[in-house]
Amino acid sequence: MLRGADIVLRCLRAEGVDMVFGYPGGAIMPLYDALDGSGIRHILSRHEQGAVFAAEGYARSTGKTGVAIATSGPGATNLVTGIADAKMDSVPLVCITGQVRSILIGTDAFQETDVFGLTLPLTKWSRLATSIEEIPDIIAQGFYWAQAGRPGPVLLDFPVDLLKAKMEFKGPSTFSLPSASNGHAKPDFWPKLQTLLQGAKKPFVLVGAGAKLSGACDPLTELLDTLQIPACATVHGLGAIPSDKTYYTGMVGMHGTKASNMALHETDLLLVFGARLDDRVTGEPSRFAPDAKIVHFEIDPAQLDRVRPCQLPVVGNLNQTVPQFHNEVRNVKLPDWSEWRAVACGPERAEVDSRGLSQPATRFLDALFEQLPDNSFVITDVGQHQMWAAQRYRKNSPRGFITSGGLGAMGFGLPAAIGVQLANPEACVVCISGDGGFQMNLQELATVHRLKLPVKMVIIDNKYLGMVRQWQQLFYERNYAETDMSDNPDFVAISKAYGIHAALLGVEAVAGLVAPPSTAKSLFRFLQSPEPELLVFECPKEANVYPMVPAGAALSEMVFEEE
Amino acid sequence: MTHLFQIRYNNTQGTLMRILMAASRRGLPMPYVQAMPVGDAHEARLLLDVSDKQVAQLYRDWHGTVDVFDVRSMQAAEEGWNASIDAGAPMPPASTRIDGQSRSAMA
Repeated sequence: MLRGADIVLRCLRAEGVDMVFGYPGGAIMPLYDALDGSGIRHILSRHEQGAVFAAEGYARSTGKTGVAIATSGPGATNLVTGIADAKMDSVPLVCITGQVRSILIGTDAFQETDVFGLTLPLTKWSRLATSIEEIPDIIAQGFYWAQAGRPGPVLLDFPVDLLKAKMEFKGPSTFSLPSASNGHAKPDFWPKLQTLLQGAKKPFVLVGAGAKLSGACDPLTELLDTLQIPACATVHGLGAIPSDKTYYTGMVGMHGTKASNMALHETDLLLVFGARLDDRVTGEPSRFAPDAKIVHFEIDPAQLDRVRPCQLPVVGNLNQTVPQFHNEVRNVKLPDWSEWRAVACGPERAEVDSRGLSQPATRFLDALFEQLPDNSFVITDVGQHQMWAAQRYRKNSPRGFITSGGLGAMGFGLPAAIGVQLANPEACVVCISGDGGFQMNLQELATVHRLKLPVKMVIIDNKYLGMVRQWQQLFYERNYAETDMSDNPDFVAISKAYGIHAALLGVEAVAGLVAPPSTAKSLFRFLQSPEPELLVFECPKEANVYPMVPAGAALSEMVFEEE
Repeated sequence: MTHLFQIRYNNTQGTLMRILMAASRRGLPMPYVQAMPVGDAHEARLLLDVSDKQVAQLYRDWHGTVDVFDVRSMQAAEEGWNASIDAGAPMPPASTRIDGQSRSAMA
């Protein structure tokens, strides 16, 4: 006879789980009691949100399903932001929560929350266990749905009495849909696509996270090498296409490059690979790619036609549909698009406006990224620093740039970096945060210290909630309402209080267009340190992220400075 | 435009709520909802006042919901759907009266 808690852990092991992130509490205590000897390593965060973001970091950097554990009530509600984040960014995640005793459910018992109901719109699939016998099947199904199709979050809620109850355990369940698609698109897409390609004068490619999630970066790059069509990436698509490809135009969207945004505005045939085309990518939806026919390669039919109808949906896994496309297109003579390519990727558009790049934060990031070893991950929080980092990131590593792009959850960076470092112990993991976001989960410094994780933390400190302040400057007549953080704490002292070495870098360190050798040397030392390190870079208070597409504007209406 | 949606689903935990939330997240009033067993599955019928774009969005949301396997809709003429409601449809539980008070009023 095994306890329900032991059965949960055995089923997790059967799913390949070797690490979970969590925080104990009353209703989940039986699970914690069973952890020792289970073969599963538990990472104690200092807040449930830290646990779920760390589980996301683990999942985003490996493609494996991340697991977060919390107790009932506040423990469960503290997971909600992470669950929403995983839903938006297609992260495979299983959240396990304790629940009050079955007999008390619905009585407003101590620490009772209807987390099943709370998370219904945020999860792909969820279950509140009603008997111990269900546990193996619930876990098998949960892990299946977390990874199936477009990955996403799953919530499994276990009443504490079921975790304590005992039964004969016959072994873990398995689950898969017998009718699940093999990922191939219907073969009839090629004739239509060929017609569209032959008629196109200004074709353009947009690559999203789907290319990474489906493991299709290499076949997609090979396809683009054949097509030689100008191509951009969303913030989640960064790293999917090698940045040194001559047809690559950089990031697209609100803070994308001039080349990408202009090409997207001018294209007459847009090939979308694994992107849902949210408003940060499209600008004003009614003016998005106004002259383009759209061909949308996508695994999730629910993502099609969200902004505007596509002329040709190709539904399937990109690691199947992209090679299908390539096999067909390599035998076809395509139109000569060299003239269009010269315009779209030409020198006039090849670099974003120098005014947007000559400010200290981007020069600092350039100097930092220059020193990044090949085996590195950059994790960002949310705000100006996130966009500066996205603009300057040049590594050709599909999972190397990790950010909360859909939900835009401040506080994501540090705990996510912890998860990435634990999943990739040999990698150089760099967390770029702002002063606002860092303070949302800085308690996780204790996790870093306890585990001696060599995470390299950077705070770009402008003593403002910078992105909000930027919008207040540009669109609210400089009414900096409640964005001032001039009384920020001494981050260096805080870090040292947690036992982590920290240093301050002033703006003079990147005074020139190229960082002086002393700065490069200190950044090299920072990155090579075997210990956790915190570096605070003092950024000018009113530095802005440019280019910028104002809300409601078309992508072609980028601004490069305050008007 | 008023549409009647028929959604077939497996009646697993939360599936009906996910179906309804696709409407509620868009702020759509739901003047009529019926859910019932049909063969081995269940069917939810929703009457919603929606734009063409919302019809497409709802279709996609429902098709993306685990355990939903068929979605159909028809544009409903007012007298048509009134007739369907009158055709033996059970009253929603919230309208059940206890001592002359509705349950919702007592909540």
